[in-house]
Amino acid sequence: MAAKEILTRRPVAATIKLTVPAGGARPAPPVGPALGQYRLNLMAFCKDFNARTQKYKPETPMAVSITAFKDNTFEFTVKSPSVTWYLKKAAGIESGSGRPGHVTASTLSLKHVYEIAKVKQNDHYLQNMSLEAITKSIIGTANSMGIQIVRNLD
Amino acid sequence: MMTAWHFLKHLNCTPTLQLLRSSSFSLNRYSSSLFFLSIHTTAPDQWPPRPQFKNSHANSSTPSLAVQSMASPVPAPANYVSVLLRCNKDISDMLAEALLSFGASSVTMNEDDVCPGTDEICVSSIFLEGEDINTSISHAADSIGLKEIPRYEVKILEENDWMKGAQELFHPVEVTEGLWVVPKWITPPDSQAMNIVLNPGLAFGTGDHPTTKLCLLLLHDCIKGGEHILDYGTGTGILAIAALKFGASFAVGVDIDSQAIASASQNATLNNIGPDKLQLHLIASQTLSSSRDDWPFSVVEGENASEMETVTHKDKYDVVVANILLNPLLNLADQIIFSAKPGAMIGLSGILSEQVENVLQKYSPFLEGIEVSKMDDWACVSGRKRMNIDIC
Repeated sequence: MAAKEILTRRPVAATIKLTVPAGGARPAPPVGPALGQYRLNLMAFCKDFNARTQKYKPETPMAVSITAFKDNTFEFTVKSPSVTWYLKKAAGIESGSGRPGHVTASTLSLKHVYEIAKVKQNDHYLQNMSLEAITKSIIGTANSMGIQIVRNLD
Repeated sequence: MMTAWHFLKHLNCTPTLQLLRSSSFSLNRYSSSLFFLSIHTTAPDQWPPRPQFKNSHANSSTPSLAVQSMASPVPAPANYVSVLLRCNKDISDMLAEALLSFGASSVTMNEDDVCPGTDEICVSSIFLEGEDINTSISHAADSIGLKEIPRYEVKILEENDWMKGAQELFHPVEVTEGLWVVPKWITPPDSQAMNIVLNPGLAFGTGDHPTTKLCLLLLHDCIKGGEHILDYGTGTGILAIAALKFGASFAVGVDIDSQAIASASQNATLNNIGPDKLQLHLIASQTLSSSRDDWPFSVVEGENASEMETVTHKDKYDVVVANILLNPLLNLADQIIFSAKPGAMIGLSGILSEQVENVLQKYSPFLEGIEVSKMDDWACVSGRKRMNIDIC
């Protein structure tokens, strides 16, 4: 089985990485120049990417990795922004605390964390993690940034 | 000590890159007021088409502010910069991520660019105008702990380079027996067949995509002759044009993208379809957060109100087709149903198979005889508008 897979695997021409707003791929920069140079079907990518990112809030910057094959076909994977991005956005801050553990950059409620966890669960590589596990991981990241998580925000 | 060594190619002066102006108009800020413009291109062979905007209702004495600001000239093609870097294979992924964080628009690692005899590979990165490339690269290198800024070359590339590449992919497609979609620059493989000739440009709809095919097949089956069609998200105009060729008597295509309207307008001409048969309208996109109370045509005042009604007049269309995306389909459900006559055929696509449930949930109160057709990962939901529903 594995041998057959290797034989039929298409030769890769390039790997392209870029950031595209969820639901907002257009045949214009950054997508146009990046994909156009490898003669990839721009419109098909846009349609596919936009359809697959409908579940994310519009304009969320998605990390896209495209594998362009030598026959001009392609595959791509999509990742939502990092947890740190979501935390900073929720807290309305540009950067975390310079001294996490000593200086609090901001405070968020468990509800914020839960909302972030729900979005991150959409990411393919996290699908096997329980919501609880993802939530714990996010709280850990928040603490390392100097963002305090409380039960409720008054 | 940082040593930066780079040389600039293809430049004969200090680069001051042209302001990159989006080649499609952003209408989002006008989402609270709706306006209609009919687009007429007078030079069909000009590419990219430069639409000339005209207010379609010249008798209004005070054109709305939105129309006046739309009359600005179309921007010139934008240039962008391609930077070629060399770095060690091990860190190329990290460097790619770092470059993206520090201003690169995209980063590409070409499989064939492995420099023989070394552990280095070439990484190319695209930067748009306004970015200070040297600063971006040095920050990126710094952030991953590189002691030196990698050597790099800079090339200025033009918009046309990638646009042309994108267009070359279009080839004739036989959607079903006797129905072909053919690029304007290729002779139809079967001159006896019904051939839809297209110059798609940067709009969606060449007959290749499963969703386009599903919608074309739906139209092919349900159009008997004389129908009025509404094509929501018309793109290249392919569905509206096909519907007319199948025997519909009149079609309206709407889209939120001016590129689409320009392309559709050109394609209408290519297929000898005049404004008496096909009308195209550029509409403002509805923002996702808007509620039912924010229907575009409920907020418009004055002269514009009659323009709205011309396009989406209650009970006007016999067939409404919308090949867009899940969220707009859900948000526009009321308008889509509203614009259809009782018993009209409604076709909804641009959705993945996994999204069919969402669409059914929203639309099944209004449709009967619902069918779902699928091709690859994509689906089309169709049904007829129930006879006795009041939507206010």
